[in-house]
Amino acid sequence: MLRASRLRETMLELLAYDFMQRSLLAAALVGAVCSVIGVFVVLRGLAFAGAGTAHAAFAGVTLAYLLGLPPLSLAIVFGLATVWITGWVEEKGRMKLDVSIGILYTATMALAILFLGLMKTYNPEVYGYLFGSVLSVTTEELLTIGGLSIVVLGTILLLSKELYFIAFDQEMAAASGVPARQIFYLLLTLVALTVVIALKTVGAILVFAMILIPASTAYQLTHSLTQMTLYSVLIGIFCAVTGVLLSYAFDLPSGPSIVLLATSLFFLAVCCSPKRLHRIQAE
Amino acid sequence: MCSNWLTRLNRHNRRLDPDIDDNQQLHRTPRMTHPIIRFDHATFGFPGTVALEDISLSIPESEFVGVIGPNGSGKTTLCRAVLGLMAPVSGTLRVLDCACEELRCHHRALIGYLPQKGMLDRNFPVTVLEAVMMGRYGALGLFRRPSGKDRDIARQALAQVGMDHHRDSALGALSGGQQQRVFIARALAQQPRILLLDEPTTGLDLTAQHSVVELIEQLHHELKLTILMITHDINMIRSRVDRLVLLKTRLFAAGPPQDVLKPEILSQVYGKELVITDKDLIIVEDYHHHH
Ligand SMILES: Nc1ncnc2c1ncn2[C@@H]1O[C@H](COP(=O)(O)OP(=O)(O)OP(=O)(O)O)[C@@H](O)[C@H]1O
Ligand SMILES: [Mg+2]
Repeated sequence: MLRASRLRETMLELLAYDFMQRSLLAAALVGAVCSVIGVFVVLRGLAFAGAGTAHAAFAGVTLAYLLGLPPLSLAIVFGLATVWITGWVEEKGRMKLDVSIGILYTATMALAILFLGLMKTYNPEVYGYLFGSVLSVTTEELLTIGGLSIVVLGTILLLSKELYFIAFDQEMAAASGVPARQIFYLLLTLVALTVVIALKTVGAILVFAMILIPASTAYQLTHSLTQMTLYSVLIGIFCAVTGVLLSYAFDLPSGPSIVLLATSLFFLAVCCSPKRLHRIQAE
Repeated sequence: MCSNWLTRLNRHNRRLDPDIDDNQQLHRTPRMTHPIIRFDHATFGFPGTVALEDISLSIPESEFVGVIGPNGSGKTTLCRAVLGLMAPVSGTLRVLDCACEELRCHHRALIGYLPQKGMLDRNFPVTVLEAVMMGRYGALGLFRRPSGKDRDIARQALAQVGMDHHRDSALGALSGGQQQRVFIARALAQQPRILLLDEPTTGLDLTAQHSVVELIEQLHHELKLTILMITHDINMIRSRVDRLVLLKTRLFAAGPPQDVLKPEILSQVYGKELVITDKDLIIVEDYHHHH
């Protein structure tokens, strides 16, 4: 009891700090954007592609530091290039998707390590993009995150019915008069933008967990597309905000706090999944 | 109810397709002279393979055509070509008065399609009504949200296939035959003029096969849709279609079922194992069980 009330006091104090407001807002935005795009990524089977994109975006960040450019600019370029190549390979079907992504994934990681090696001095900021540091988000970064979030969420809101359809069955969507190919590339573009939005807060290594886990958790819980999206967003925001608070309260790194919280929820959902229980009964 | 549907269908198509003037729309049903699908020496292929060669075939509006042929004979390719998903290597294909390689999204919205593969993933979180609503998306166009009217159309389509009471069920929880009905409903929710059905009965039990085929036959009568139905079950559709098309890369025959289902024609395509019994049933002889 005593502990709980002390915890509440600490939380209230925390909210008075500027940096805390910034990081909570950033976390909430990142949680929302990642969990919404995650629904389409999970349903369309693009999970692995997104993981590759995150590492490519990090390679972009390292190159930007090397050249003295704004880090997120090259992150976007690298992220988009990777995600478009992935889409193109899937479309052509000349190569197994996991093979081509595996190659891109490791190649961009090798580039990142190469660029890090070329930097003559140790730069802790770069590692912030690798591991995430939501507590040090600046006002400008928050504005960038906010702007990109509006773009991504707005696009999804406008084209949600097409995005759902291509996630369900892209060929069928094309056959019934949806410009499916264009929508598919748009989805890939949104994935790359989301990765970039989340890069600073959760870091390149963990960003994909933020996209994957809330949506996969929601996937366990419902049979309806709209409900899955709703659950995913709620889980995403909850994990991001609570993760930041926990990380501050217990002096833990923020990225892992968010991701491990989400992972625990995921396993809880798997155990209690109505779908799974249904299947066990059927067997 | 059926005429109500047809009126809605007409009204809807008119709004959708500005190329077709009102006059044509109102009198479209009996225009047997003007084909809605027309292959003219058309060849389709994939890199390294010719899937369909030199096909010439005209399908008038409201015709029910059955397409038969062995595996790999190009039946699915024929559907994909009509949908404008493949361009002809040579020759032409015109669908809805438009070259197939120039079919736009609003044309495709007028073609309902039931693909060959069944449900991809039983766990995919989609309800029956959500899946049928997808049939409306192409016709609606980008950025527009489905309205109450689209919902009504989707529910009407579900009622037509006898699945309205399942509208809130998970699609993955339905049986194969029920899922097939839902996908037919999705095609109907497009309010199409052409219905392409790629092996709608494959994988269903005998009762489900019969009820699906009867449903299709009934839809043809009620809605006067142009239907192209691919099947391996020759005996099932021979009495129901207006015309049978026999494919094996080339077009071997196209005509009334009794003209196409002749031993000398069928054996060209299926080989010698094909037997036509005295009861007129066509069976492929199984050489493990000689009688
Ligand atoms: N995506 C593809 N890439 C390359 N070749 C293909 C592709 N799809 C089909 N083909 C080839 O085109 C030919 C016709 O295939 P199609 O799928 O149209 O046959 P089908 O008559 O539908 O067969 P089935 O009865 O097995 O469904 C086959 O020889 C096949 O190898
Ligand atoms: Mg086929």
